Amino acid sequence: MTATPEQTTATQTALQPVGGGGVVVVERKQPGQSYGQGIAKGMAVVIRHFAKSFTSRIDDKSDQAGMFTVEYPEERMELPEAYRNMPVLLYDDKTGQELCTSCFQCERICPPKVIHITQAKDPNTGKAVPAAEEFIIEYDSCMSCGLCHEICPFDAIKMDHFYELSTHDHLAMDQNKAALDRPISYYQAIAPNLWAAVEANAMKKLQNNVKRRPGNIGVAPHMIGKTQKALPTAAAAGAGAAAAARPKTPVAAIGKNMSPEKVARLEAIRAAKRGGATMPGESEIVAPSPVASGESGLHVAESQAGLAPSPATTPAPATGPVAAVGQSMSDEKKARLEAIRAAKRAQGGGQ
Amino acid sequence: MLKTEELQINIGPQHPSTHGVFRLMATVDGETVVHLEPVFGYLHRNHEQLGEIWTYLQTITITDRLDYFNSMINEHGYCMTVEKLASIEVPERAEYIRVIMSELSRILNHAAAIGFWLQDMGSWGTTLMFGFRQREMIMDIFESVGGSRMMCNYMRFGGVARDLTPNLVEQINLFLEGFPQFIDDFERLMMENEILLARSRNVGVLPKELAAAYSVTGPVIRGSGIPYDIRRAEPYSIYDRFAFDIPVGSVGDVYDRFLVRMEEMRQSHRILRQAMEQLPQASGSYINQAYKAASKQQGLRLPAGEAYCRVESPKGELGYYIVSNGGNSAYRYGIRAPSLINLTALNDMCRGYTVADIVVILGSIDIVMGEVDR
Repeated sequence: MTATPEQTTATQTALQPVGGGGVVVVERKQPGQSYGQGIAKGMAVVIRHFAKSFTSRIDDKSDQAGMFTVEYPEERMELPEAYRNMPVLLYDDKTGQELCTSCFQCERICPPKVIHITQAKDPNTGKAVPAAEEFIIEYDSCMSCGLCHEICPFDAIKMDHFYELSTHDHLAMDQNKAALDRPISYYQAIAPNLWAAVEANAMKKLQNNVKRRPGNIGVAPHMIGKTQKALPTAAAAGAGAAAAARPKTPVAAIGKNMSPEKVARLEAIRAAKRGGATMPGESEIVAPSPVASGESGLHVAESQAGLAPSPATTPAPATGPVAAVGQSMSDEKKARLEAIRAAKRAQGGGQ
Repeated sequence: MLKTEELQINIGPQHPSTHGVFRLMATVDGETVVHLEPVFGYLHRNHEQLGEIWTYLQTITITDRLDYFNSMINEHGYCMTVEKLASIEVPERAEYIRVIMSELSRILNHAAAIGFWLQDMGSWGTTLMFGFRQREMIMDIFESVGGSRMMCNYMRFGGVARDLTPNLVEQINLFLEGFPQFIDDFERLMMENEILLARSRNVGVLPKELAAAYSVTGPVIRGSGIPYDIRRAEPYSIYDRFAFDIPVGSVGDVYDRFLVRMEEMRQSHRILRQAMEQLPQASGSYINQAYKAASKQQGLRLPAGEAYCRVESPKGELGYYIVSNGGNSAYRYGIRAPSLINLTALNDMCRGYTVADIVVILGSIDIVMGEVDR
């Protein structure tokens, strides 16, 4: 290969000064006679960074050297509010009323067409009711684009932050309404600002829609029979349930300038808060949500997402107008619920 | 000289250094390449056809998946085309946010591209991770604005989906503060490395005339010495407001392309600095209020006609062509993908060099198969 003529010095010549700025010819380095010096220079950089990785962490975006990796199963990245993974449905904490009115906007906008909605009908009149009878999302084909939550006029469909969705059971990725339902407090915990921006509007619309829903239509399946008969109000469950619903993060805030003992202290405070705040919530409402009943939010999400091998995740055969019994319930509760349902069914038959 | 029999060898499609499912049919004479034929199409996903079925808004989500290293610029180009056809005004602040995101994408792409190129050259891991750390920081910003690290789905017709929060502005400023240190370290790491110089200098030379004849764009044509940059040649968005230099090479070899990318990162940083300074003074909202509702975007019907818009993607000229017949999805939707066109010059770049050089030359073009095959 013959040597090509090259610029040996730094040439900063403006060839075509158009607009604001010119053209720079990049400076080419010549292979010097001192073999190995360039490699040594590079190694010096590597060694400097290597040494720093033992002593410091990269705390913010201006830091250039230090430990950067997050040791995943033990530590977790703090997710931004806008983070989107899979869509979930919201329901009111107190009344269990779902925000969804089956307007089919999300089904229509969904690019991969994975949302399937059935509109609820009034069993007496046969007329459509602003509520979803069944709501299925094929999680396995969802592209997480977030258009459904962007278009939803009732703020009923929101993007979850739960990302540990891997499973061996491919078919279980089809999520029915029972598996998709999350309390508002759960979403409030993961995205407080985003929810605050839409809360007033969403709750107002929900109140109007609830008036047109007879019986238990539109109530989250596992909440049937456990709720107070009242119109939903804003910020139903309050801070207690919100704190309980927050996905458990072992380390408080990764990437923040914190010493380990400070993190531990903060963690202790949080744990105390979580424990303290759940109690009044439980006594007030009879298990307002599976989240508030002592389980961590992560586990609930896991079981609701149908990842834990539980038989309840497969949609139960439709025996009546009411949907399947929630999966995260004690046997005693299930029996009680069944009794209530049987009574209701008998009542309906008598009419 | 002894005449030896020519041998045809296949590199790929399942080969780690072909940057995806991409096959090279190389005819070699001993160790020297005499002919090289790129074979692609293994990652065809019917992108353009989907764009003709889905509505304009839905199609934004798949433009992310073209060149998945710079989804922001892909969206920018696509939204510009639709806006041009529908004559949608973009507020000033939205333009600034778009430029900020585009330039962050350029840094992200070049940091990763150089890292991968060095990895192809045998500098396993270390250099790639330097680039990847910076990429990760930018992706954190993307995650905060768009919701996803790579498939941002952030731009909308007439603006962007979400405004920059003060916290995010601070994050971007912090990133810009630390960036010069990164680029200096990155440069010191490899720039004078003897092995890099030996393997990249005068390898894969693409002469000026040939580069223009192949209509390659991006760092490949600039490395060959032609200062062609869409941001300068046909200023789109608000690029005419910023002072930046266009780096060009003098030889047109692999080394020049590497240097051009390094300098481009510095220039992107320069643009970002100016954009962040001017952002608070920018008037208007983050989106055109008439198109703020997602239902407005979804129901968008473009007047019959056609439009072509191009943007400077980190790989070169990225063009979108939309023909509308008045419906709510494109009648014809076509893409000029820079990776694909740059790849056509591969045969001429590789001829006469050794088999080991193929990988280095291919890495210097910086292709993404998602864009080549669509």
